[in-house]
Amino acid sequence: MSWPVADLDPVRRLRALAAAIPGAYVAERVIPAPFATVWAVAGDLEKEFGTFEPDMRRLVVESARPDGRLVARARSRYGMRARFDVDLRPGWCWMQSRFLLVGLAARPVPEGTLVAQTGGVRVPGRAALVPWGVRAAGDRALARLAARVAGSPS
Amino acid sequence: MTPALVRAAQRGDTMAMNDLLAELTPYLGRICGPIALDSGPDAVQEALIAIFRHLRDLREPEALHGWARAIAVREAVRIARRDGRSSPAELDGLPSPQDVERAVDIRDVLERLPPEHRAVLVLRDLEGLPEEAAARMLRVPSGTVKSRLHRARASFRRAWQG
Repeated sequence: MSWPVADLDPVRRLRALAAAIPGAYVAERVIPAPFATVWAVAGDLEKEFGTFEPDMRRLVVESARPDGRLVARARSRYGMRARFDVDLRPGWCWMQSRFLLVGLAARPVPEGTLVAQTGGVRVPGRAALVPWGVRAAGDRALARLAARVAGSPS
Repeated sequence: MTPALVRAAQRGDTMAMNDLLAELTPYLGRICGPIALDSGPDAVQEALIAIFRHLRDLREPEALHGWARAIAVREAVRIARRDGRSSPAELDGLPSPQDVERAVDIRDVLERLPPEHRAVLVLRDLEGLPEEAAARMLRVPSGTVKSRLHRARASFRRAWQG
């Protein structure tokens, strides 16, 4: 005898977490490629993240634990540096610095892969984002990610 | 779960919120799945949204799981009702623990019940709560629930065997 158990896919997890963060917007997009192909790009912090995430020019992973928790150093397009705590696992990336927050999630769908993104500039001392421009930035990030996936070897 | 993690999440540390979400999600899936059935993922998502939106109201971090369970049950019943896959008619039977154990497919048993009765089953059989506590969580008088459950069990058994 087993009771039914409800599962929560990463995109739903991202929606739930973002809903608790005032100012956050969740951009979503279906990329017509298999999950493994999409996540090979989306989850590659050092080589790919800076190509599609706003304000993120370069990321270097400084330490990693087996459970997917990382510490990364980032440099923004404007030269600012930040230390990020990162939770990275297949289909899920959540990272936070003192001033920035980025969340990325993906799951397979019949048409390819559904990806979701949230993030922006944090309101100091609160689980909140400065709301200006987050919608456009999220949509742009996923459009750039789709373009990178289309150009990547599958 | 450590109280420190809950307090960090309450202070707005989104990494702590991320960790708390990872820890709570399997538990909420076990609560919401049997109540909301096909709408279970929606119910877990809505429960998590409600939990994190009201996390600052939780005064005792040690009480997290009981508090989250109450929210999850409420959201699961609401979502199951919203999606309307169950009969809106009052069911006159609720299976006993023995009926549940005998069932080849518990999902088949659950699909015969309205969401509120599935919630009673989850709280009583899965979570081991006494009827009074289940009634409090479902915000219905315990005496009414108790007598209703008594009648319901007998009726369900007749229907199940007949």
